[in-house]
Amino acid sequence: MRMSFVVNGRSRTLDAPPLTRLLDILRGPLGLTGTKEGCGEGECGSCTVLLDGVPVNACLVVAGQCDGRTVLTVEGLASKDTLSDLQEAFVKEGGAQCGICTPGILMAAHALLAANPQPGEGEIRESIAGNICRCTGYQRIVESIRQAAKEQAAREPG
Amino acid sequence: MNPAEIALYPFERPGTLAELCRTLSARAGRKEKTVLLAGGTDWIVERRLAPPEDPNDLPLVLDVSRLTEMRGITVVKEIATIGAAATFLEIKSHPVLSRRAPVLTAMAREVGAVQIQARGTLGGNLAGASPAADGAAALMALDADVVLASIHGERRVPMTQFFTAYRTTRRAEDEVIVRVEFTLPRTGAHQVWRKVGTRAAQAISKVALAAVAEVERGRGVRSGFGMASVAPVTVSLPSVRALGLSPSLASVSDEELDAATRRDIAPIDDLRSTAAYRAHVASALVKGFFRELRIAAGS
Amino acid sequence: MALVGRSVPRADGPAKVAGTARYVDDLTRPGVLLGATLRSPVARGRLRGIRRDPSFDWTGVTVVTAEDVPVNVVALIEEDQPVLASDEVRHAYEPIALVAAEDPVRLARALRALTPEIDPLPPVLTVADALQRKAQIHGPDNVFATYRISKGDAAKAIAESAVRLSGTYRTHHQEQLYIEPQGMLAFWDASGAHLVGSLQCPFYVHKGVKRTFSLDDAHVDVTQAVTGGGFGGKEEYPTLLALHALLLAKKSGRPVKMIYDRQEDIEATTKRHPSEVTISSGCDREGNLSAVSIRIVMDGGAYVTLTPVVLSRGALHAAGAYRWEHVSIEAIAVATNTPPNGAFRGFGAPQTIWAIERHLDRIARELSADPLALREKNLLRVGDTTPTGQFLKESVGVQRCVEEARKASGWERKRETLGQAAAARPVSAILRRPAPGGSASRKARGIGASVFLHGAGFTGSGERKLKGRVAIDMFQLLTEKKPRFRIRTASTDIGQGTETVFRQIAAEALWVSMDRVDFATPSTATVPDSGPTVASRTVMIVGSILEHAARDLFARIEQNRQKQGGSFDDAARRLIAHEGTVISEKTYETPADFVWDDATYRGDAYPVFGWGCDIAEVEVDLDTFETTVIGFWAAQDVGKAIHPLMCKGQIEGGTLQAIGWALNEKVVLKDGKILNARMTNYIVPTSIDAPRFTTVLVEDPYSRGPGGGAKGIGELPMDGGAPAIAAAIEHATGIVRDDLPLLPEDLFVAWKTGR
Repeated sequence: MRMSFVVNGRSRTLDAPPLTRLLDILRGPLGLTGTKEGCGEGECGSCTVLLDGVPVNACLVVAGQCDGRTVLTVEGLASKDTLSDLQEAFVKEGGAQCGICTPGILMAAHALLAANPQPGEGEIRESIAGNICRCTGYQRIVESIRQAAKEQAAREPG
Repeated sequence: MNPAEIALYPFERPGTLAELCRTLSARAGRKEKTVLLAGGTDWIVERRLAPPEDPNDLPLVLDVSRLTEMRGITVVKEIATIGAAATFLEIKSHPVLSRRAPVLTAMAREVGAVQIQARGTLGGNLAGASPAADGAAALMALDADVVLASIHGERRVPMTQFFTAYRTTRRAEDEVIVRVEFTLPRTGAHQVWRKVGTRAAQAISKVALAAVAEVERGRGVRSGFGMASVAPVTVSLPSVRALGLSPSLASVSDEELDAATRRDIAPIDDLRSTAAYRAHVASALVKGFFRELRIAAGS
Repeated sequence: MALVGRSVPRADGPAKVAGTARYVDDLTRPGVLLGATLRSPVARGRLRGIRRDPSFDWTGVTVVTAEDVPVNVVALIEEDQPVLASDEVRHAYEPIALVAAEDPVRLARALRALTPEIDPLPPVLTVADALQRKAQIHGPDNVFATYRISKGDAAKAIAESAVRLSGTYRTHHQEQLYIEPQGMLAFWDASGAHLVGSLQCPFYVHKGVKRTFSLDDAHVDVTQAVTGGGFGGKEEYPTLLALHALLLAKKSGRPVKMIYDRQEDIEATTKRHPSEVTISSGCDREGNLSAVSIRIVMDGGAYVTLTPVVLSRGALHAAGAYRWEHVSIEAIAVATNTPPNGAFRGFGAPQTIWAIERHLDRIARELSADPLALREKNLLRVGDTTPTGQFLKESVGVQRCVEEARKASGWERKRETLGQAAAARPVSAILRRPAPGGSASRKARGIGASVFLHGAGFTGSGERKLKGRVAIDMFQLLTEKKPRFRIRTASTDIGQGTETVFRQIAAEALWVSMDRVDFATPSTATVPDSGPTVASRTVMIVGSILEHAARDLFARIEQNRQKQGGSFDDAARRLIAHEGTVISEKTYETPADFVWDDATYRGDAYPVFGWGCDIAEVEVDLDTFETTVIGFWAAQDVGKAIHPLMCKGQIEGGTLQAIGWALNEKVVLKDGKILNARMTNYIVPTSIDAPRFTTVLVEDPYSRGPGGGAKGIGELPMDGGAPAIAAAIEHATGIVRDDLPLLPEDLFVAWKTGR
């Protein structure tokens, strides 16, 4: 099946079996290996990407259902060579250790901050409850997201 | 099955409900297998575990996620209508439902985490007929009707009668679940969603209770229950429900509630929990809800 | 410069947050095939053969069996484990054959077209059956290893004590559940065998490949890809996977990539050893501990792997952080027909510390003493000796850990105000009490503590035998003005932050900025053997070698500068002009006063210990027995925190693994097979299950630690979480559990059976 979607702001058209997992499309033909596979059944959240702005597990989304839609992956967070506030905060505040869950968590957190720029700790924890991290105990991740929210607020006028 | 093998299934996207019904009818007539795919959160996971199917006789996968007739949430004159392809995310963030049917929105908030809520649908939850179907429990408590469509038109099945056996429903091969409908509980009704899962989030139920009740001058005038993971299918606790309609809620005893709960459930030992624990928790949750009702009845 | 002690931005952070860090599954090579493993469906049996479905089209499919393995052993401590089973299978999921094909669908179908033909034999599935020799599955007695440690006369001293108490304490399996499954990419060329993979210990893999393929050092090259967590799970197991991938690559003549599916990873790879520990103790009525006798039995699974070392560490930690005049410890590990158990953060210590900490709570219960006060009264101090007779010279910060944790948690007040339920009434009475205010939730809160230690670095003579090496290079890039430095070590960064912390140590010793120091990708072809990335030894042992290498280099540059003038960089450039790349390589020197006897288990078991006090506050739902961790205070003596933020990250992450082990995680085995080998039913904590941690870094420096006294910190935080949680549940509800886990179902049964 021939399908088109916008990935990280770029239109992409390709031919693939429609029930190919979005994860395999991203990591294969599109070469976007920043999205990781940790369990293949929607439990770990490592493959989280945003589909029309909403976090989904790319291992449970089939490509045929993405035709005409917009996908954002971790590769789309930075602008040129500048990391986003969120990415920067994860580097500085200890939000990333082994890094394998990090792209998925960044996507979930990115969606949270887009909808709710000043989330409380409970909201932060709920937003990443579908992303398993085995390294950090989550606290540094929560701090990183909180720090990014602060940075964003400081940057925006008013 | 390897995910790459799932990609081999044939896939089509019917443009309208009518087209879908025609395809379903034709295929059912020819005894061909069909899969209706919405969010895929169950089907894709199950395929991975399932033995591979004959590559020359794969079912046709029909995408129902974009059919207008199956989408959206509306509330008209106290009747809530939820499309079968509405996601848990849409349900949990619906303002009217949050106010008037918190048993449903609280349930939606605890299905998986946001990634699963964004994909999973009420229709999929009902069609899968898992014993752990949280959505079904909430809809039973709300006394919802399930609306099925086929080339012969629509028919309604009460949610409490929708499941017939383990992973089996009243939906025929040529039918599709299009929506569910229920009368909103009145403002001030008692509603509880309590999920006891394998952990605090991203969990499957060990026991989950959905309960809706309205109390007028000490008597129960509306009573609906649903409980997941305590029987081969999600159950509506008919004996408990009867007690919820008692003319004197204050006099319903814990012993009666225990006996009713025991009658209504058939818990088992499995990987998630034990029969004894489930029986204990089921009773405790039911009694907890009635404590609230008794206080309301007494005031 | 003061780089040490500063939480600088994580060096490998930018690549990880940008998605450009390359893990093994992100790598490929032209012509790569995918590999998969055919595994035993039964726990024990005679392997008669492997049937290939004749109707399957085998074109382009490579199949490897035991006959294709040059030397069919996995070289670890012993050589009892075959690379592929040849005549007998000894555990479920044991590898029997390997398959490679170009595309995943062909691969899956080819795997299904192979059927192992096995005559099942009765398996030994429990420790009891192994000890009773229901079947002989290892050596004459099914015993992998035995250790004895003794000091004074424990039996006599216990008999003479006023308060004598005994208990048996059990722990269960635990899966590492690193989020990146195991994976390896292998290929051969004229220069020999090449591997890139997710691994902790490049030279372990190197050794295994040399042995199986009879190759010399120069013909094997093992490189670490960015690794998505290990926790011990990628210590010894990757050797087996590397051999598999290389066998397929050799036979097919193509590069081969093997990436485990999550289910396969949980089923086939190593777990934490289950244990049963029986303790008898003697003390006086005031709670002064005198004597302890401990018997430890661990389940090693089907092959030796690292079991003797795990058992040894367990035994060496079994008496806990306390002064006992008389100690007797006997430890034994047995074989069963279950998947081999192996390294997991803590390495035997969490098991025995669970036991001794629950036993301390038993003593406190008996004496009606405050559990923390009882512990405090008996803490080891500088000048005391451990059960092996090790004299504690320095860096025993445990008293401060207790003080800090007590203060931060509000221990005294909470001990009094929470958990009255437990103190005042039997549990059944609490539960039947009608809840005040109708539906008000029926919940009880409690607080509990644990105190513990963890030996940093290899046990006993380990470091002396190993002689770990580290190199630092100085070189000039044409594009840069100033000379650069490069750390070469086999110590891998698997998330804990080696790359960052090593740069800090080196840059500080060289008096240069961190951005001038590179960290070479660990590859056996280019880095010296620093030893494995295990045993809380990376910063303390390998970091100190690095510090010495960097200081030597600095001294050489400084010497040149003093002789010939100019700046530091001028001197550095002169050295480079003369030598090309300037290399400073150092070998670990075990302190001369460090004495250990492997035969008697007497002497200095570890260079130094890390210490900790954990306090947990929990809320238990009295209807559902769900436990919520409300707060967690961890005060741990790390010697010196080189990177305080990462140090806290280690403590919090390790502690949550311990909490998960206690409250969520459980491997369900039936007939030797794992029933819940998926992330949907092997349950680890989410962000909502995790408590808010208060972490206090106590710094009581170790004179030989790098950066002014750093000690190993990797494993320490795994030791104290579970017993602290159990103690808090006891305080809240009166339910006493001596066995892990503490799932709601377990608490429910304990409550129903009246304890």
